[in-house]
This record gives sequence, structure tokens and C-alpha cells, in this order.
Amino acid sequence: MTLLELKNVSVNYGRIEAIHDMSFAVQKGEIVSLIGANGAGKTTTMKTISGLLNPAAGTIEFEGEDITKMKAHIRVVRGISQAPEGRGIFPGMTVLENLDMGAFGRKDRSGMAADFDRVYSLFPRLAERKTQQGGTMSGGEQQMLAIGRALMAAPRLLLLDEPSMGLAPQFIKQIFTIIKEINEQGTTILLVEQNANQALARADRAFVLETGTITHRGTGRELLSNPAVKEAYLGVG
Amino acid sequence: MSTTDGPTLMPDSESAKDAIDRVTAGRKKRHFTQPFRDKWNNLRRPQQWAFLLIVVVLAYALPILNPPIITSEPGNDWPITCFQMAIYALVAVGLNVVVGYAGLLDLGYVAFFAVGAYTAAMLTSPDSPFLHIPYLWTVPVAMAVTMFFGVILGIPTLRLRGDYLAIVTLGFGEIVRILATIIPAMKGQVGFQNVGRPPGVQADGSPLFSNSNGTPWYWLTLTVIIIVLLLAGNLERSRVGRAWVAIRQDEDAAEIMGVPVFKYKVWAFAIGAGVGGLSGALYAGQIGFINNQKFDVVTSILFLAAVVLGGAGNKVGAIIGGAVVAYIPLRFTAIAEYKYLIFGIALVLLMIFRAQGLLPARQKLLAYGRTTYERVSASTRSRPAAQNGGPPDGRPSDEAPKRVSE
Repeated sequence: MTLLELKNVSVNYGRIEAIHDMSFAVQKGEIVSLIGANGAGKTTTMKTISGLLNPAAGTIEFEGEDITKMKAHIRVVRGISQAPEGRGIFPGMTVLENLDMGAFGRKDRSGMAADFDRVYSLFPRLAERKTQQGGTMSGGEQQMLAIGRALMAAPRLLLLDEPSMGLAPQFIKQIFTIIKEINEQGTTILLVEQNANQALARADRAFVLETGTITHRGTGRELLSNPAVKEAYLGVG
Repeated sequence: MSTTDGPTLMPDSESAKDAIDRVTAGRKKRHFTQPFRDKWNNLRRPQQWAFLLIVVVLAYALPILNPPIITSEPGNDWPITCFQMAIYALVAVGLNVVVGYAGLLDLGYVAFFAVGAYTAAMLTSPDSPFLHIPYLWTVPVAMAVTMFFGVILGIPTLRLRGDYLAIVTLGFGEIVRILATIIPAMKGQVGFQNVGRPPGVQADGSPLFSNSNGTPWYWLTLTVIIIVLLLAGNLERSRVGRAWVAIRQDEDAAEIMGVPVFKYKVWAFAIGAGVGGLSGALYAGQIGFINNQKFDVVTSILFLAAVVLGGAGNKVGAIIGGAVVAYIPLRFTAIAEYKYLIFGIALVLLMIFRAQGLLPARQKLLAYGRTTYERVSASTRSRPAAQNGGPPDGRPSDEAPKRVSE
């Protein structure tokens, strides 16, 4: 079943076209990776799906409903939640307060309590650091917090923008293991990455983005063995 | 993390604990008010109330006490000085909602003050051709009118951010002043005489709220401040307050957390405007005369200086900042001419040595109740408590933030 579908979406920054005529779909239960170099339009795609940017053309559908014109904060309530690039946590708030902000649009107390438990069991570190200010935590911990906070909205589609950015290699592995775990618990995941190796290995399907258009598509394994992708993104030729 | 720490890739629990200790130690060193704040928060509720009661009684007694050295006499009448300080404090509390809570830089706040003052004047002064109503009724009307102006200004401008918003609000401040000059009904420099006053007469038959007697006006304004503070305190701790903190810290992140950012920014603007209008109406009543000369951009900057001086985001700080900004030129009349120079230097020094203002805002736990604060301060005092502080479910019911019904 199609959860999210972009049809012929174009996004402009002023007169510069960041995304050109992009179409792709995410099926329920999948992990889908978008990989590409700097400036390929990865973050723009994410912001367009979460509603921070408006497309100049095209439509976005979520669970069959046209959400192209829907405000970002309403999309969260509908089930699209994002862990933004550069983590975007609230530096002055504690871990607990950050997580609580993630559930801002929710009213079901019991479901929220269950999601707090879920986040703390996925990231035991956050449970230990409940009262620490977000801004004083390490990069890896902030990334955990950003993902945990996004999960607090009980999303059906979780958008992860460069979860590995600035993290130590062993920690990247750990984050991707947790992403897989979140997916196995039933959350569909769309993730954007420069770390193509990990992103492709973990993904059910993947797209390669170059200057605002999708140039390759396939399963994660197909793209991992695709010579062109290998050369450009995996550092082997 | 400093570069001398060497590579620490995965923080193990020991190094992480050290990092927390370093951070908390650093924080304690930064704020000299922290010991007082800790002491205050460790007091029990009845003790806090008792202390507050003393402060309130002293505040009410201020114009009568007329303490030597502190007093502004013989240069300026002391009760009038007290009233001026109270008005500036009220303005600062209102502007603090906009600048301190929601993080919106408003350089034209005097416009709302002016709208409030003109509303009160035009509805009570015999010079005005409009409908006349009793003075006290103009106060809620002035608030409603300024809130309306706040929304009207907010809807187109709050899509802008940072510097752009500051410029537009600066322009709005000037527009209101210039309109007062060019619209005939607003009487420009001629202005409105004999603005209304609350009812009440003294034993000798003269009005209680006269222009020359600051004390009743001061008491009225102080009462208004206390009411506004109670309301602001509730807002701070509510869902709205949490949304403002989130918007101030990261607008985009707040939006994708499901916070209707635009709506809450307009609310901050409208509430701030309402308090500005309220103080304008009180000011017009006491002075008794309003014209276009009193609402220039410099006054806006002075209001902002009061908030920044006190510590943006801290309502007690705003009161102190407002009172200080009003007090200094009235007390030291010899140097009153140089007040902008003095405030300029004071602000520069403040930015160097204490960038968060005299009383910095509590960034964390703003949105949470007292129980959480106690839990946290207990856990930071003895670290083991932090490790297994909360019950295993991670969200004890008493830790749940207060939510206002929508």
C-alpha cells in the first residue's frame, strides 16, 4: 500500500530550481533511502515532504490524501514526523522537555506514556539523561534525541535527514541498527544520507539524487552493486 | 568539548558523567543570581508566599515611605516617579512576552503604547468629538483595540523573521506617530487635554486620581502589574508557553513538532500589544494630556532596553529593568540629559559581562511544575539519584506538564 507519493514535484528557491519534476512513492513498512551529494536536493525533498517548503509544481499525497497545501504542523498530526538535518533539537530544553515537545500535537495521554517507554527502551542513554539540557549533549546523543523526539509524534512515516552526520563510524552503525529496529516495530522510514554504504545496505529501496532529479532507482542491493553508483557514491571504481 | 580532551568517540558513562559535571560547574559560575534562585526554589510554598507578601506590601508602601537617598525629590515628585517606574515596568512585562518569550524582536512597541493612550484620550477628553465613556471603561477598550492592532500588524509581518521583523515593527512605530500628526481627528501636536480619570473624591472634594497626585495612580498600576504577572506566569507554564520557548529556540523544529508557529507568534504579538495598550491608557489618564510628541522611536528603544537590561524572558527581570530605566533619569536629574549615553554604556557593559541581562531567563524547566524542579535539583545535587531518579516507566504522572484545555 502506498503511504507517500510525490508526483512531478518541483521546488524553487527564488529562481533556482532545487528539485525538478521528481516523482517517487514510499510503500507502507519500507525503509527508503535517498542518497546524493551535497546540493543534490536531499534536504529540500525532506522539507517539502514535512511541509517547511512549498512545491512550485506537483502534488504530494499521504495515505491517498492530497497534502500539498497542508501546513507542516498539521502534517505532524496526520503522521509525518521529521528528525531534521543537524539534529535541530531545542538546546535550552532538557531531554524530557524535548521529547515532550515531540508529542505537542497529541492528546492521548496513555499512548504518549507508551511512546516515552518505547523511546527510552530504544535509547537507554536518553533515559539516563532525562534532566540534561539538550544543547550540552554530545553529537550522538543529540541525534538519538532528535530521532526519539520525532518518534514521540507517533508517526506513520518517519523522515530522517542525515542521521549519520558528524558521527563516529561505530556510532553510525549503532544508529542504523536502531533505525532498522524502529522500522521493524512498524514505522515506515524515509531517510536521506550521504553515507551511501549504510543507507543502501539497510534500505528496501533507494533513489539516487543528482542536481534535483532522480537518476537511479532500485532496491538497496541493486544500487550497491550498480557500477555508476559505486563509482560516484561508494568510493570504489 | 575542548580540543585538549583528545578523541573520545563513544562517550562511555564515566566520561559522560564528567562532561555533565563540567557543564553544571560552568553554569554555576556564570550566574551570580543562581545561589539566590536555588535558595528561593528550596523554600517551601508558604515561605515563598510570605516573602512575596512582604515584597508586595513594601511595593505598595513605596510612595508613602519616600526613603531618603533613594527618593527622587526635590528634583521630581516621588509618587509620580513611582508611577513612572510602574508604567515602564508594565510596558516591559508586556514587551517581554513578545521579545522574551516568543523571541520576536519588536522595535516599534511604543506604537501599541500610543494606540492605548490615544484610545483612552479620544474616548474621554472633552477635546475629542467622539463618544465619551467613563475612564475605567476605556482600559479594556484600549486593550481590545491594541490587541486588534497587534493582530493586524502581526498577520502580514510575522511571516518575516529576525532582522526583517525588527525593521517592519520599527516602521509601524513611526506610522502610528505620523498618523497622529496628519489625521485631523487625532489633533497632532495640539493633542487632547483633560483625559478622564477613575472616579473617587478626597475629603476636600478634589478628585482622588488627580494629575498631581501619583500615589493612587501608582497603586492602580501596581495592582494591574500584579494581575498581569499572575496571568503571564500561568501562560509561561502552559502549553502556549512551551510553544513559545520552542519557537524562540528553533522555529523550524517547533513547526515540525506540530506547533502552529504562526498562530502562536500572532498570539504573543496580540498579548504583548494588549499589555502595551493597557499601560498606554493608564499613562494617558495620569498625565491627563496626550499629543504626538511622546511616542517617538527612542521611547521604543528605551522599552526594549528595559527588557534586555532586566533579562529577556524573565518577567521579574522585566519589572526591574523597566523600573530602573524610568528611575535613573528622574532620580539623577543633573545627568538626565545624558540618559541615552548612560543607558548605551550600561547596555554595552551588560552585553560584555552579562549577556543574558540582570536576571537571566530560566531556559530549562520553564514549562514544568515545581515537583519536576525539586526532582531535578535533588538529582543534580547527588548524582546517583539522577541515574535512577524516576520510576522505570520514565514518565511519572506528577512530572507530566500542565496542559491548558484548548
